[in-house]
Amino acid sequence: MRELFTLLGYELRETFDSIPWTVYFWFYFGFQYFVYGQLVSRLILEPHDYYLYYGTGLLIIMTFNVASWSGRRFVEGAHEGRLRYILSLPIRRSGLFAEQLLLGLIANLVRIGPPLVLVLWLNGMPPAVLLTSTAVLLSMSVGIMGIMISLSFIAFKSFDIYSAIVATTSAILIRFSTILYPFSYMPEAYESVARFNPLTYGADLLRNVMSIDVSQLLSPGTAIVVVAAVGLATLSLGMVLVPRTLEGVRSS
Amino acid sequence: MPNRTVKIFNSNSRRAETARGSPSLVNGARLRTSSLRGSWVRIPPPALLSGTRDRNVFLCITGTFGVGLNTAVQTFDLTKAYGNAKALDALNLKVRQGEILVLLGPNGSGKTTFLNLISTVLRPTSGTATVMGYDIVKQSLKVRETIGISFQEPRGFWRHKPYHILSFHAAIYGLKGKEKSEVVDQTLKDFELWTSRNKRFMELSGGQGKRLEVAKLFVNRPKVAVFDEPTAMVDLDGKRLIWDKIRQLREQGSTLVVATNEVREAEYLADRISIMKGGKEVVTQDLRTLKDSISGGDVVEVGVSPTITSGALKAIEEVPGTVRVTQTSENMLNAFVNRSEDWLPQMMASVQSFGVKITSIRVSEPSLDDVFLHYTGKEAVKASA
Repeated sequence: MRELFTLLGYELRETFDSIPWTVYFWFYFGFQYFVYGQLVSRLILEPHDYYLYYGTGLLIIMTFNVASWSGRRFVEGAHEGRLRYILSLPIRRSGLFAEQLLLGLIANLVRIGPPLVLVLWLNGMPPAVLLTSTAVLLSMSVGIMGIMISLSFIAFKSFDIYSAIVATTSAILIRFSTILYPFSYMPEAYESVARFNPLTYGADLLRNVMSIDVSQLLSPGTAIVVVAAVGLATLSLGMVLVPRTLEGVRSS
Repeated sequence: MPNRTVKIFNSNSRRAETARGSPSLVNGARLRTSSLRGSWVRIPPPALLSGTRDRNVFLCITGTFGVGLNTAVQTFDLTKAYGNAKALDALNLKVRQGEILVLLGPNGSGKTTFLNLISTVLRPTSGTATVMGYDIVKQSLKVRETIGISFQEPRGFWRHKPYHILSFHAAIYGLKGKEKSEVVDQTLKDFELWTSRNKRFMELSGGQGKRLEVAKLFVNRPKVAVFDEPTAMVDLDGKRLIWDKIRQLREQGSTLVVATNEVREAEYLADRISIMKGGKEVVTQDLRTLKDSISGGDVVEVGVSPTITSGALKAIEEVPGTVRVTQTSENMLNAFVNRSEDWLPQMMASVQSFGVKITSIRVSEPSLDDVFLHYTGKEAVKASA
């Protein structure tokens, strides 16, 4: 355990060494929320209070982006040689996987935390909601990180193909979901696709804990089950795939 | 001592077998049974053929273990394949405790793959190896606690500074507080990185980066240290510094494996040299034996007065150890011989009776370059065919 926390400490130091990158995330949120969000919510009269609906959607998009970054960082580590060095250290492979997840969760918390607090504060929500919504966002990020790290085996063959797959996956998952528009406003074809999208369940669960327009959301029970199942499944997949992938890498 | 189940690699049947017994004494010395548990132990064919079918007997009396007393690293048909291409092909190699074994071979000969496999950075496709008795597949964590690798290209944290990189390495291996600071400071000074300790890794020169990569192993001083081209990209002063430090590490009790393309580095460092080609070991010997192994490798240039007679020439050709004689002028000849130190006195005695006076002798022994080319060139292909 000592080795893992030592590694985590050093990786956190490297991650947050680049302050502009973290500030960029906050700037991106601020610009989208206060400029684009304000403008677009004037045009959209339904659902009621689309500005808040958009704000929560934006938080999920950012969670997706930061969690994707964790997978990308993992891949970059392999290409730069950092990962190979870490593999030579006396650390269990399963521990290394857990450390990468923990690193991703902390990065998520630091980058998404302030925007989340801002949205909740501006909308007068109680502090308890901060805890539940943070739990939802972190659970979602575990699932997304699991997917991205599991996909990393593609990157060891070709970084270009990995980037293309991640970009396409992001585009599909975000658009075919309830992140930016609820089910009731979707064409039937969209809706049937969105129901198979785990982000739909994550988005609806977040809005449920914030008590936003509950009548339009999926049942929170189902959403909890789906978010937890996706997180566990991708974690398990990653734990099986990653060690095999890493130790099969010829050169990086 | 309680009975234990030990897995045995039977090199006759080439199958794994299991034996229960008390593997406590081998050649009169006590083995750590915990290091045997679950690991592959090889018993050579003569032992299996010579005694009873009860393998416990061999374990206790005549068994020569892969985890033998003087062996730091041993491989058993170690193979790494990428598709159909074999980077390492059924390698059987033994590194003795406390020695510097230099792996010398052309690019693609499997040196780096071997180092990565025994460091557990890569997993073998088949076969296995032990490092200080620990199996690289089944006891990989124990192996990583025992071995340290300095990579061919500097690896680590690009945005970090040398001080933090070494400090991290020290912390991973359990150093802390004042002890950690002292070790890190001293290592930075020893490798002439003290003035660059607060530069970012990406700002270091190639040579500084390489020195930092090597320096990591001097922070924790592993029992087995492996270096992949430790002086690539380093200037002459830097090379000397690294070579001296590597030898120092050996003197402090570590076993070292060094992979290199540089013949001079091999000559300077090696207790034994293993020449590799195509993922296989071609030959492993000390430098002297390797040079002596080339037939006619010593070239003796002999000057005589007044001239070389046909009788004297014939006598020289008949001296034991002579491979070939070439007359270069009326009073000069080149003799290609084995072991010139034995050949010279016999040659001098045999020409005396022909009234020929020897005026000069110059001996040149084969260089390691010659040895390397001999074993990796056409002759080696013939030998393995």
